[in-house]
Amino acid sequence: MTITETVEEGMFQTENPIHELNRMLVRYDLTPNQAKVYLFLSKIGVKTASEISKALKIPRTETYHLLSTLQQKGIIFSVFGKPTKFNAVGLEESLEILINNEKNRINELELGKSSLIKLWNIIPKYGENEDESQDNKFQSLQGRNSILVKLEQMIKESKENILVLGTEADFKRFYFTEFTKLLNNTKSELRILTDHSSDKQHIFESILPKKVKKIEDKNREDFCFIIKDDSEVIFFISDNKVKEMLAVWTDSKAFVTTLRSLFSLMWKKSHHVNETDAESLLGSEITYEHRLREIEQEKRILNYLQEHFQVLENTRGRN
Amino acid sequence: MSKTDKVKSKQEEEMKHLEILIIDDNEQITKMLTTFLELKEHKCTVANDGKDGLALVKENRYDVVLLDLAMPEFDGYSVIKDLEENDMLKNHKIIVFTASTITQEELDDLVKRGVTSYILKPIDIDVLLAKLVDTANL
Repeated sequence: MTITETVEEGMFQTENPIHELNRMLVRYDLTPNQAKVYLFLSKIGVKTASEISKALKIPRTETYHLLSTLQQKGIIFSVFGKPTKFNAVGLEESLEILINNEKNRINELELGKSSLIKLWNIIPKYGENEDESQDNKFQSLQGRNSILVKLEQMIKESKENILVLGTEADFKRFYFTEFTKLLNNTKSELRILTDHSSDKQHIFESILPKKVKKIEDKNREDFCFIIKDDSEVIFFISDNKVKEMLAVWTDSKAFVTTLRSLFSLMWKKSHHVNETDAESLLGSEITYEHRLREIEQEKRILNYLQEHFQVLENTRGRN
Repeated sequence: MSKTDKVKSKQEEEMKHLEILIIDDNEQITKMLTTFLELKEHKCTVANDGKDGLALVKENRYDVVLLDLAMPEFDGYSVIKDLEENDMLKNHKIIVFTASTITQEELDDLVKRGVTSYILKPIDIDVLLAKLVDTANL
């Protein structure tokens, strides 16, 4: 075995950083084998299909198909000669090409949307399901993107309130997305309950402090959910065995009400992120005074009622 | 029966059967107040949170609404704001009933916006009743 062959074989072993690169490229609409071929050519240089097939242990016919697809995507090119050899476009340029391909695809989808809806509306509805709207709907969401799309939709459609509960770790996966921007711009009443430490960047730092409260350690659980208008909720499921994010969306009234009550309870017990101990104490004193007045009011009504019923008792006694 | 007694009796007759809505999260107060007002032969409806209270105000007609300001989640201010935005605040006789620390300016502002009157807790129960009747008869 030559040195080159040894390098080629070791490239895709799990501990090699190229394995991580391979995983990341899959997010740019490449299949794992397409990413493998691309990275192989990027690092090793010009090779024939047969050499690629042998080095990566991919059947020859599949290798031809992979090379053809990668050429169509524009991230590898062939070098004239017999047999035909292949080489890869630089990583930065390739990423740019792949991103633009995705953008173009999304633009095409956007353009097709109105014609699709027009066509759909032409077709008559064959069945009526009147109870459909009253059903409790559950939707299982797998993967960051599908969860993000649903979250963004919920925030955009919200008219009354958005309640967010979860730790920084839960939400750091939404850094650099529209998520915090949308939360920031929402006209609904926003309340966020999260952990926070001043020594690290706070994902909700751009949001007004009065809308954010710190979950007290004693109240911390592994919950993470977002409620929209008391009518819909996304509940995150943490499973260490599954790498991909999992969540459940539902409009089940019972489910939403239960989580809403939990949120209210925790919100009541928590303090604002920037609230000092003194401010917190002052707050509780005001509540204390307020409570005293309420008790005094209760006492006055109670006294009246006691006197009234005493008089009634006495009257009955006399009769 | 003296003339004064006759007037008092007539007033009591007029006082009867007020339809009162109490919006207050303090269940002790709402229960005792309801008992008291029902003893005086008024009809009481209770909402223990702002949202339910607001829905009742919008759907029904009450002679007077007793509204607490400090409630969790949807408070009395939110009820007032919603009615104000829907141009309904002046259609109802609303008495703000609060134990909160609130300045005279804030109270005057609420009245200016369309709240009929205000009562600061604690208040003697007879005075409260008189205020309810006066407001209902405005």
